[in-house]
Amino acid sequence: MSVLRPFKAADMFKFNNVNLDIWTETYGIGFYLSYLARWPDLCCVQEAPSGRMMGYVLGKAEGTSHEWHGHVTALTVAPEYRRLGLARKMMNLLEMVSDESYKGFFVDLYVRCTNSLAISMYESFGYSVYRRVREYYGSLGIGKGGRDEEDAFDMRKPLSRDPNRRSVRLNGREMIVSAHDVP
Amino acid sequence: MSQALERQIKPIYDSLDTGSNKSAIVACNKLLKKYPKNELIKSLKALALVRSQKVEEALVLCDELLQAKPTDDPVLTALMHCLRGLGRHKDMVTMFEDAYKQQPANEELGIQTFFANVRAANWKSAQLIATKMHKQFQEDRYIFWNAISAVLQARDPATPPGMQTILFKLAHRLLESCTSPTYLIADRFYLHLFVLRELQLYDDAHKLLDSEIGTVICNTNLSCNEIRRDIWKRRGMVAEEGARGERRIIEQKDRNWLEFLAVLDATFEGPEKPTAESIEHAVHLFTSVAEIDGTKDRTGLLALLEVEKRARQSNLSTDPGRLPSLLRDYFGRIGGKACCFEDLKPYLAFEGNEKSEWASFLQGVATTADTISNLQRSINAHKILRFMLDPSQVTVESESTLLSTYVDLYLSALPLGADLPSTELQPADDFALLAGNTLVSLWKLTSDAKHLQNAAILLEFALGKSKHSFQSRLLLIRVYRLLGAPSLAVDYYRGLQVKQVQHDTLSHFLLSRASNFSLAASGDLTFSSECLESSQIYLSNTQETGDFIVRAFTSEKYSQIPEFIEFEDRLENSLQRDLVKIEHLRMRTTHEVITSDLIDMELIELKFIFDRTHHDNRDFDILANYQPHFSKSLNEQTLLFNLPAEGHGWLHVFMQVYIRALQQGSDLDDTVEEKLLIGDRPKQSPDPEKRGPLKERLKQVKEECLTELTPDEVLLVTYAKALADWLEPYHDHVRPPPAVVLAEAAKQTELKTGFALRGIEIPPLNGNGNGKKDEEAPAIADPPQEVVEFFAKIKARFEVVVDQPSLNDILQVATLAQEAFMLFVIETLRFKSPSVVKIHKLGALTNSFKPIRATALEVLKFISAGLTTRSEKEGSTEVRTAFIDGFSESLSNKDIDQEFVQGIAKKTTESRKKVLEGVGKGLLRVCSNYSTN
Ligand SMILES: CC(C)(COP(=O)(O)OP(=O)(O)OC[C@H]1O[C@@H](n2cnc3c(N)ncnc32)[C@H](O)[C@@H]1OP(=O)(O)O)[C@@H](O)C(=O)NCCC(=O)NCCS
Repeated sequence: MSVLRPFKAADMFKFNNVNLDIWTETYGIGFYLSYLARWPDLCCVQEAPSGRMMGYVLGKAEGTSHEWHGHVTALTVAPEYRRLGLARKMMNLLEMVSDESYKGFFVDLYVRCTNSLAISMYESFGYSVYRRVREYYGSLGIGKGGRDEEDAFDMRKPLSRDPNRRSVRLNGREMIVSAHDVP
Repeated sequence: MSQALERQIKPIYDSLDTGSNKSAIVACNKLLKKYPKNELIKSLKALALVRSQKVEEALVLCDELLQAKPTDDPVLTALMHCLRGLGRHKDMVTMFEDAYKQQPANEELGIQTFFANVRAANWKSAQLIATKMHKQFQEDRYIFWNAISAVLQARDPATPPGMQTILFKLAHRLLESCTSPTYLIADRFYLHLFVLRELQLYDDAHKLLDSEIGTVICNTNLSCNEIRRDIWKRRGMVAEEGARGERRIIEQKDRNWLEFLAVLDATFEGPEKPTAESIEHAVHLFTSVAEIDGTKDRTGLLALLEVEKRARQSNLSTDPGRLPSLLRDYFGRIGGKACCFEDLKPYLAFEGNEKSEWASFLQGVATTADTISNLQRSINAHKILRFMLDPSQVTVESESTLLSTYVDLYLSALPLGADLPSTELQPADDFALLAGNTLVSLWKLTSDAKHLQNAAILLEFALGKSKHSFQSRLLLIRVYRLLGAPSLAVDYYRGLQVKQVQHDTLSHFLLSRASNFSLAASGDLTFSSECLESSQIYLSNTQETGDFIVRAFTSEKYSQIPEFIEFEDRLENSLQRDLVKIEHLRMRTTHEVITSDLIDMELIELKFIFDRTHHDNRDFDILANYQPHFSKSLNEQTLLFNLPAEGHGWLHVFMQVYIRALQQGSDLDDTVEEKLLIGDRPKQSPDPEKRGPLKERLKQVKEECLTELTPDEVLLVTYAKALADWLEPYHDHVRPPPAVVLAEAAKQTELKTGFALRGIEIPPLNGNGNGKKDEEAPAIADPPQEVVEFFAKIKARFEVVVDQPSLNDILQVATLAQEAFMLFVIETLRFKSPSVVKIHKLGALTNSFKPIRATALEVLKFISAGLTTRSEKEGSTEVRTAFIDGFSESLSNKDIDQEFVQGIAKKTTESRKKVLEGVGKGLLRVCSNYSTN
């Protein structure tokens, strides 16, 4: 059970239980405000009835002509609220708004190639790999995770404006681009 | 501008962009030789000067440029950055207004002028400009800028209540005058609804909402839907909202809890009284949801519990067995998820048979932790059972038994997570936290620090197994502070990697009453630098948030503008910010030499924050609380000195103490300050309590504020007040008149910077350059008892606490004694100058300082010696052995390595030893720094 509501600037005072988890980055205030100042309807919070924050998503709309799309910048759920379908609900909302309000052709997101949990989760939501972006997360030198640690998959899901699924492809994992070539 | 010039100016911009201010200044100077009148070069030079802290020179240049009333866009932009850097928003507004007046057809200038007013929160002027711009440029968005400015003015605390309605009506008229309908843009629609709601024009709002497009907007925009929900409720449409919720739940499988609440409210709080049928209807709906969703979504199941709870409240529950059976059902399905305990908490208030049956059900589940899912169930069962304990069930014996159970379960379940990568949390962590809660409870029951030590050992162990468990970390920070081992608290706090805005909400974990632990006097600046680091975020807020408020205007996100403004205000006027400020000052005075510069700077800063309306943003809920329902929370139990966290009262009292002492020690009176000030003054508070003369308000120490202080802090405050009351007349008499102070300041500035202070005309002095006033020096009074006796009293306190187990009391008494002495130094600095004493005939006064100072120094040395002795004891093998024995007594047969226990004992006792030693050394340093009169 959770309340789905808009992300508000003052939520920055409340997101510790989500952000103290190591997988979630805390950015400067300008980061959150820049999203809220332009795409507030693509940013939302899931909250427990007690008022405790459970997770949030921050998104934006970008691209030109057939590349006009919704983008998931951050999706996170506090550890104690995982596997309750919250990520799914927030993604549903973001897709619905990208589709109906922004009339985007697709929604996309970047995910570390090593994050197989998230990759399979997005696949179960209907996303597929569109391309692999080299050194998206910076160059780490070939370490434990190798290339997978520094590369990202750009994953996409077509929306109703793209009934012919032009925005996705089958062999996306083999399409390799450099980080300079993506927005 | 000629192309050649343009080419020459570009490198200046590049230098500014890359922060090479020096080379920017050099380049400007070079170009200025050729183009001595060029405004752009001058304004860029001013900017480079501001950025290299050459304030005086920059001011001269800015003033010159402003006087010429520039209209050139690049010049205005450069000056805008200058003025922002100097904190002069008022000048910025004037600059743009002047430029816009000269070029009323320049839309960009209009926009900039509007924004300058937005940044300064001048909503009234902003409205005027928006009106003008709409007339001139005929753009709809200026109507909305106008309307939201009216709304913001209405919400400004300084606006009298009578004005609010007028302003909302004005906003309403503006919106109605707009030629294009507001629903074209969701955020315009939002603003429209917002204004209608404020004016209680619910029918009009409903008409907008009821349209097809209104419905579409609310379906895709959560903010608009939020306001719609509220308007429907206010309009009494509870039944309609329920029907809407029901449709969404069924047709769109919406599982937003708000929709379920809508159905529940319609059932129980609608116009019709709830009946068996209406309840049955809700039960039916939620049951089918629960069946469809299975374990995938718990909303339906919880809604069933909520129905039963409300039915019981309205005496309509028919089946007494229903609540327990729903709970069992819920636990059966969701017990394997971490959220189960929190979900069920609101439904656990029941008694008698029901309670014992439920408890025995949980007992049955609680013992098995053989799989991850069963482990989670067992954790949930134990959390619920603990929560439901009654006072009679919480004794030393019962808590010890529970402790043993939790630890056993924790250790036996650990292997379940053995294969997880180190980045994952361990599934058994919560048992360690339950044990931590229990150990704190045992400490509270017995006052025996052994339990805190055991908590440290156990949590350290758990953190070793689960490196990223921030809950274990947070509790460890608290435990180490209670144990008087601050260096360990620092280590664990740093490990949290607190960033950005989290400093505001979390730094209290480390910095609350941190001067208690500070070794700044002995040169260790760990805590001071933590204070500074945590305060960076407030600077970012000042520098950045305004930009985003402006950006929200540009992108017409009216729903966000009030939120951003509120956010900015909450951070700007954060309680934690100024608590840290005070702690930092308390540390700074012990470390730095007290000079008039330090006194003046701190004084101005504190005076500016004294009248703030503070917001408490501290996050205390973050600490997971597993104490019984009647008990104090874990947060409250683990704060220092068994008091609530320092609040508004504490801050107020300490600001009074310091502002008074600094004000007396300073030559800056209000007129001087006015002249020397560079940036704008803070806006005056509308609160009538904050209106009277500052000097008077500093003296009124309120009883209710004192309740937030420890008795030893009260002792310090009483002493500080008596000291200030006593010395005030002499300070006032000796303080040179403003003209003299200004002349001296001008001289110093000119010496330092080569530039005269601007805007200051020094009136001719009346003959004597030392500023001696004509009236007689006030009669010399004997020092008050509170002052004379303070150091003896604090010494007696120290003798009482020095052998007690709690280090915090010892450290507090020692650091407060030191603080009292530093206040004495600040208060008497002025009278150190022999010529001052001679001219004003204050020999008798300074003679009376001598015995006070001598006693103070003697007491500080005595305390220092006591700390050294105690610190040696802390470092002894006996204490360490006792630490280790304390663990084996309580948790003997537990499978935690002896060597591990020894390690924790070692580092804890070492940290305790170090802080005692360090504070002791610091006291000696202070004594030697100020040993001569
Ligand atoms: C990834 C994350 C957002 C998932 O959130 P969530 O609310 O737990 O996800 P959901 O409950 O909506 O799960 C949706 C589906 O994803 C899959 N999934 C999610 N977590 C999974 C896990 N730990 N193991 C296996 N599958 C998982 C499942 O298929 C699940 O559906 P199901 O529960 O019906 O089987 C959350 O784990 C998280 O915040 N992780 C840290 C931050 C992160 O990695 N973000 C993604 C980076 S792009």
